Amino acid sequence: MVLKHSQIAPSLMSAILKAAEVAARRIPPAFPLEATVAVNPFLGQTGEDLATASARLQRVAGVRAVRAGADHAAAIEDGQLTDAVLAEALSASTSPLKPKDLASLKAFAAGTATCEPTALPTVADLAAEATDVDWPSIIEKSVGVWAAGQFDRGQALWSPAPDAEAFASWRAWATHDLTPEIAGLTGFCAHVAAAPDTADRAILRAAEALGLDEAAAETAFHRLYMELGGWSQHARWLLWHAELTGGTDRTMADLLAIRLIWEEALLAHVPEIGEKWAETVSAHGAPVKPSAEDVALAILQEASERAHQRGLFAALDGETAPKDRPALQAAFCIDVRSELFRRALEDVDPSIETIGFAGFFGLPLAHKAHGSDVVEAHLPVLLNPAVVTTSHAEPEKEKDARIAARTARAWGRFRQAAVSSFAFVEAAGPFYAGKLVRDALGRGARSEKRTPAPWVVGGLDARAKADTAAAVLGAMSLTKGHGEIVLLLGHGGQVTNNPHESAYHCGACGGYTGEVSARLLAALLNDPETRTGLAERDIMVPEDTLFIAGLHDTTTDEITIYDDGLPSDRGDDIRRMKGWLKQAGKITRAERAPSLPGATPMTIAERALNWAEVRPEWGLAGCAAFIAAPRAATAGRDLGGRAFLHSYDWQADDSFGTLELIITAPVVVASWISLQYYGSSVMPDVFGGGNKLIHNIVGGIGVIEGNSGRLRPGLPWQAVHDGEKLMHEPLRLSVMIEAPREAITGVLMRHPEVRDLFDNGWLHLFRLKDGKVDARYRPGLIWAEPQELLAA
Amino acid sequence: MVSLSFLAPCVLLAVATLAWRRPGRRPEGLPQLAEYAALAALALAELGVVQVTVAGPAMLSVLGGPLDLILRADPVTVTLALLVAFIGWVVIRYSRTYLDGEAQEGRFLALMLATLAAVLLFVQSGSLAILILSSFLVGLGLKRLLLFYSDRPEARRASTKFALVWHGADAALVLAAVLLAGSYGTGDVSRIATAASDASLTWAASLAIALIVLAAALKTAAFPLHGWLTEVMEAPTPVSALLHAGIINSGGVLLISLAGLVQQSPGAMAALVMIGGFTALFGAAVMLTQSAVKTSLAWSTVSQMGFLLLQCGLGLWALALLHIVAHSLYKAHAFLSSGGAVQAVAGLRRPGPIAVPRILAVLKSFALALVLYAAIATVFTALVGPKTAQALALGAILIFGVAYLVAQGLADQAPAELTKRTSLASLGAAVAYFAFQAAAQAIWGPALPPTPVPGPLEWALIMLAVASFGLVAFAQALFPLWAHHPSTAGLRVHLANGFYLNALLDRAIGGFRNPKTH
Repeated sequence: MVLKHSQIAPSLMSAILKAAEVAARRIPPAFPLEATVAVNPFLGQTGEDLATASARLQRVAGVRAVRAGADHAAAIEDGQLTDAVLAEALSASTSPLKPKDLASLKAFAAGTATCEPTALPTVADLAAEATDVDWPSIIEKSVGVWAAGQFDRGQALWSPAPDAEAFASWRAWATHDLTPEIAGLTGFCAHVAAAPDTADRAILRAAEALGLDEAAAETAFHRLYMELGGWSQHARWLLWHAELTGGTDRTMADLLAIRLIWEEALLAHVPEIGEKWAETVSAHGAPVKPSAEDVALAILQEASERAHQRGLFAALDGETAPKDRPALQAAFCIDVRSELFRRALEDVDPSIETIGFAGFFGLPLAHKAHGSDVVEAHLPVLLNPAVVTTSHAEPEKEKDARIAARTARAWGRFRQAAVSSFAFVEAAGPFYAGKLVRDALGRGARSEKRTPAPWVVGGLDARAKADTAAAVLGAMSLTKGHGEIVLLLGHGGQVTNNPHESAYHCGACGGYTGEVSARLLAALLNDPETRTGLAERDIMVPEDTLFIAGLHDTTTDEITIYDDGLPSDRGDDIRRMKGWLKQAGKITRAERAPSLPGATPMTIAERALNWAEVRPEWGLAGCAAFIAAPRAATAGRDLGGRAFLHSYDWQADDSFGTLELIITAPVVVASWISLQYYGSSVMPDVFGGGNKLIHNIVGGIGVIEGNSGRLRPGLPWQAVHDGEKLMHEPLRLSVMIEAPREAITGVLMRHPEVRDLFDNGWLHLFRLKDGKVDARYRPGLIWAEPQELLAA
Repeated sequence: MVSLSFLAPCVLLAVATLAWRRPGRRPEGLPQLAEYAALAALALAELGVVQVTVAGPAMLSVLGGPLDLILRADPVTVTLALLVAFIGWVVIRYSRTYLDGEAQEGRFLALMLATLAAVLLFVQSGSLAILILSSFLVGLGLKRLLLFYSDRPEARRASTKFALVWHGADAALVLAAVLLAGSYGTGDVSRIATAASDASLTWAASLAIALIVLAAALKTAAFPLHGWLTEVMEAPTPVSALLHAGIINSGGVLLISLAGLVQQSPGAMAALVMIGGFTALFGAAVMLTQSAVKTSLAWSTVSQMGFLLLQCGLGLWALALLHIVAHSLYKAHAFLSSGGAVQAVAGLRRPGPIAVPRILAVLKSFALALVLYAAIATVFTALVGPKTAQALALGAILIFGVAYLVAQGLADQAPAELTKRTSLASLGAAVAYFAFQAAAQAIWGPALPPTPVPGPLEWALIMLAVASFGLVAFAQALFPLWAHHPSTAGLRVHLANGFYLNALLDRAIGGFRNPKTH
């Protein structure tokens, strides 16, 4: 092994590796599409504000993290952004670089002269300029083909040896792969063969060859991670996943080492770019600072958020009067799509009340589905599972399901393997005519067969049942006033042939539908043992309260009710409930139809079955607010399907434990969702999933576009854009909580990483009092008074 | 008499013209109209089938002489027209939803309809002039479709490669047509075949056949110029479906239309067997290593088209046609439903680990498959008459594939119930393809030249093909035992890169150049 560590001081070595670690943590994780959830693309930047993050992303990815001035200019033109809001946002900014007055702020909006941002070049970029060979795309393609195999979960029959470490596996690959040499990089295989055998040593050697010092290394490494696109985000997910269970993962360092070996080889191959590269290194050495333009565009962004907040202030004008005991109390996920349905359902009959709570209903499950050995984590990705459950049926049925699945799998391998693929085509090909007709006409719906009811593996004793139930009901603010029927609704979006299917499911359930969680909770709460235990814990659930589980299909707005032993004497109540749900579905579809291209209320359901549909529904597009308050504060208000609604009664929350839970879990998850939509709308090339029309699924984990090598995490363009306009107005979330100021401040003090989100402007925070906005949070744990915030 | 299926391209072209005038986003009513046009074309093609069945073949001749434009309706051409019209309807219906809101939605529909019309013309060609003309038009249309996202350098690279290979094949065809016109004084495909079988081949005719084989190899993306096909997922999915299910068959259609002529040259037939057989195995091996679903499907097409050439080379024309039909239907569905790959892959892990057959189980499965083959072949021979040596060899190759399915059920770890199910599936598969083959022979056999009696060269090739497919099938069945051995890691790398032929082609045509400066 040729290692020239002689010139490199130990302190620099550790500084370089530290910079690699910091750069790796600037990358957000991307969850595999099998069960994907939204991730905040700024996860590694929450310690700085939007303007600084924007400056950083310009350097490392060539994109601004804010909308173009022209977008704001249009909003000023049509009156959405008034002078009052602009002035407010301007005065709220504490940056020394902010425009001196309103006129100069507006000039930034109108400023068409600003140039397109470009990232600092990589060695590959410089080499491409100098040699007229497209090195960046050769690297992208070559690393992409390797990575696709390395991270493949079963698409290819012949993938690399399982459990091979990325760096070792790549070295074995790259010493054989002749593509770089054919493209002109002679000696690359030998260069790789001579590279150090650990990622850390390869990073150090390359850093030395590239002349990277302590100051320059971090953004130089970050730049390379961004160049790897989704692959580094996938590796970051591996790390995330490992750390959640107390482990660690080296793939991030491996990827950096791989990309650095390329840089090293290209610099040696094209020595004439040395001078330009040295300039680049010194540019990386300068600290990341926002420009005046970055600051101004961030202020304009703030202004558009304040404009939206004014609408909320007006809508939230005090609590409505409390109702009698409801005949139906329906608990929905806080997902913004529920807001429409809840409003519609409450409109159907005055004896209906709705509740909002995270769709996993407080049960952190490690679940095995019917016929499956794979453990699925049905919970918000910030948490670890605590309850082991399964939907396995009785042994005989379970075995049948497995044999059927294994036969189908063997048939699939018969279709895919060499030689047998010819027999497959000749024997089965003609039958595909029928399949084509069936799918073209949308008759290929999955079977309506109900999955068996889930159960807790090993069972729970009476005490565990009551403790779990009490904890969940407490968190739901549902310790009193139970209705005759309490409907627990999970949600999922039915789509066909859509790689991003899990993105339409329940984020609080880890990208699965909420079916399992709802069914488990309903069974638990109907259990006589649980009821007895609850009574002992002073939670009085009336004898006649019946918990029922259901699933809200957010594509069709139809509700499935699970008959897990519903009592026959409540048949009338249940029929009445189903009637209400049907009516509410109809109202909701009518409200949703105009925004779905080409849809009418009657045709919405077809979208779920159409295999060519790229916009089955709008998911959480438009999300802009999070309100934790009693439903009385929001009931009857049209919030346009843009608000997460979490039921919360601070007076029932003795030690503010529930408040702490809300601020640290659902609020954070909601911020991830809102910022994912923001990232995919504002920076689609970097944090968006690309064009669905040319998606090519890789390894079962993600998509690439067409024939390129770059994995594309994030939301596809069609998920945020209807062809003519953005369907998601990119706004940072406005969080509104009905609780005492000191209680909220206390939670933020205990959770500095959450406080960062508010202090650096990634979230807005308001305190509600009696259903009205009472104060705005200012960075540094300060509350601004209402008159100030409603001035103008 | 004129077949109604000749009118199908006209309907499509009429609507394509309308669409061309409204090239932008959401042209109102146009997507529906496009689907109706595709449905009308499908109905006309169906009526064409009825006409041929009831009243026999039909022909339409326009100019006469060597430049004669002839459309032909016989069992072969109406089948192909029906196939293309059916796939056409499916992809246009798909595009109606899929392309909604695209900036060039109308233009896309226009190009799809026009290309579809050209393919319909191609498959019904009765003369070289119209064959070449329509082939050229297909190329023009597809090139523009591949450039639908022309700002993507990958798309530009793919379309350049496609155009080079496709129109290279067209040039070979023009040359062949000139030579044939010189030799036989006509462009009428059936008259050329008759004339060729009456006398021994002139050098010009031999050269023409070589050029036709070359054109067919280029158009079916045969080794070594297969690279263009593996990159064309740069266009929206319906384009890939149309390409892999309709357009890619052109090479096979070309050979089948000219079967009577091509079969006169044993050298050409041998070349087809060798190119086809090698491409089939090569493509299938590369496919094993591809982790991107559409890329893997593209390599599968390379391999299946190789198999098609092999069938043509063996003189099994009716079976080649069956392969075109079966493969098109399968591949169109595979592309259009490729969005389900995430769920499909997730589903693979759910029912637990895969039972791996060991060497003994694999040997047993091959023996069982051969017994199965002997039994079924005997039954079918009793029912529909004896098979040619070539057909028997092809059956053997296919049964090696079925052995793989049997082997999976024979693994030591496999529960008895699984063994039973896979055995049933194997039996079903074997019966299904022998039945389809018998049907193909019955429907199209009379319209196509009979399979030649094998001479020493043919026998040698048959043995070679059976042996090499058998070997690969055997290795494939034992695959889990050696695939992750360090000694095969290098092979996997070279295969995953398709043995670099595409990279070499890129280098040759400047595909590696920096798009920012060009």
